[in-house]
Amino acid sequence: MTRNLPDHPASYRDPAGFVFRRDGRVYRQVNPVYADDYRLLMDSGLYGKLVAEQLLIPHEEVEAGTLLPLQLPVISYPCEWSPDQLKDAALLSLKVMRIAIDHGMILKDASPRNIQWLNARPIFIDTLSFERYDPARPWIAYRQFCESFLFPLYLHHYFRQGIHKTLAAYPEGMPAGTLLPLLPFKSRFRAGVWLHVVLPARVVTSGKGGQVSFDQRRLLLLIGSLEDSLRGLRTEASRAVGWSRYYSETVMSQAYVHEKERLFREMTAAIDFGSALDLGANDGYFSRILAEKKARVIAVDDQWACTSTLYRVAAASGGSSSSGAGGHIYPLCVDIADPTPASGFANAERSSFTERAQCDLVVALAVVHHLVLMKNIPFALLADYLALLTRQWLIIEFVPISDEKASALIRDKPVFHKPYDAYAFEAQFALLFNIEQKQPIPGTERILYLMRKKADAI
Amino acid sequence: MAMLLYIDPGGGSYLVQAIIAAVLGFMFYFKTLWFRIRSFFVRPKPKPPTENDKEPS
Repeated sequence: MTRNLPDHPASYRDPAGFVFRRDGRVYRQVNPVYADDYRLLMDSGLYGKLVAEQLLIPHEEVEAGTLLPLQLPVISYPCEWSPDQLKDAALLSLKVMRIAIDHGMILKDASPRNIQWLNARPIFIDTLSFERYDPARPWIAYRQFCESFLFPLYLHHYFRQGIHKTLAAYPEGMPAGTLLPLLPFKSRFRAGVWLHVVLPARVVTSGKGGQVSFDQRRLLLLIGSLEDSLRGLRTEASRAVGWSRYYSETVMSQAYVHEKERLFREMTAAIDFGSALDLGANDGYFSRILAEKKARVIAVDDQWACTSTLYRVAAASGGSSSSGAGGHIYPLCVDIADPTPASGFANAERSSFTERAQCDLVVALAVVHHLVLMKNIPFALLADYLALLTRQWLIIEFVPISDEKASALIRDKPVFHKPYDAYAFEAQFALLFNIEQKQPIPGTERILYLMRKKADAI
Repeated sequence: MAMLLYIDPGGGSYLVQAIIAAVLGFMFYFKTLWFRIRSFFVRPKPKPPTENDKEPS
């Protein structure tokens, strides 16, 4: 007897079909059990309408039942998004739902993982999530929608901590009974909290579902209520939070940023790259310069407010740089010192950030002192990890201990790996990289390096 | 044919939705009724003149 294993570790759940890779491309197979629903999706005009409005990923049917969807350059997970990314993804799901209902179909699941980003806009990627709509039945994915979209956003609305940690802890969503005791008293003045949190948390789980009277008008009321609840939640970054707008507002930065930008532009002009990973991207000042060079840029910061700011900027310009001719920015909320691990069943359902983030160029500006002084990551380990992330190039800024920002970091935390100086830094990085350029940033003691990964490194 | 449900709708989720829809329907009904009653008794106020309505001085 042959062992019947799914072709992609993330696609074992849905009996309707599965995802597989062939020759470096991702395909989606439609199983016979789902063939009727798939035909309805295509023949009802739903697929055409959703694709025309750029809400659903387009595909071509390469052979009967085998779909080749548009290939996405970057895959990310909800535990790497900012709150407004999750909110936009939630509103997209409901918009897709409304259009589906108009065409006699409904979403049979509501996971944020059904959504990815293309040109800084959310796009629905699970072509097999649609099924024939039975108006007499409530929405099967209602609870999943609340737990994985709405509830993390409620927590963020009241506590302003982002949604990435919540969804890392609750990858399948947070149950109403878990959320309710965490919400403050003032949350009880929101109708949405009573309807979508208090009520589900209090209703005794009888175990039998389906014996209730329901119709399309009621479903539309429910969707409307979810939309209103989502729209009323705060998700955007205020100016007060964390490091957001570091580059645009720091007083020391004016001359420094100008000089750094000049050197950075010189270095990036000297090399070829199609993809870049900006570590500690902050408000994306340098990510945008990379995008102008038509590179696909993954811009990473561990502060949700930074990711949020960058997402707004990227979305406003359609994902491209302000010049309109650039590549696309993918803002993600990831801590470089603790990047997203591989997770899910058998640790194989969702791949690690490291696997997904590899790029031609890695940029690490003003982050080395944070990682080495605050997180106690030795230079050697940092060099190893950056060599793993980059395919070829590294632009990295060294911030010496005498620097105002670095000395502020160690004022209350004197224990870190020593020696911490440019000599030790270069010695470790030179084992894995060739140092092609070394440029002191005028007016500061900081140094900008352009390095190329050695052929035999990692 | 057995229906393939690959996510768990959750005990009570259908019931919850029925209750929510009933509450929303109730609220919607009274909101509509309230607007009707109000528009019967209250005449719409004339709009205050805007800058554009003023004669140039």
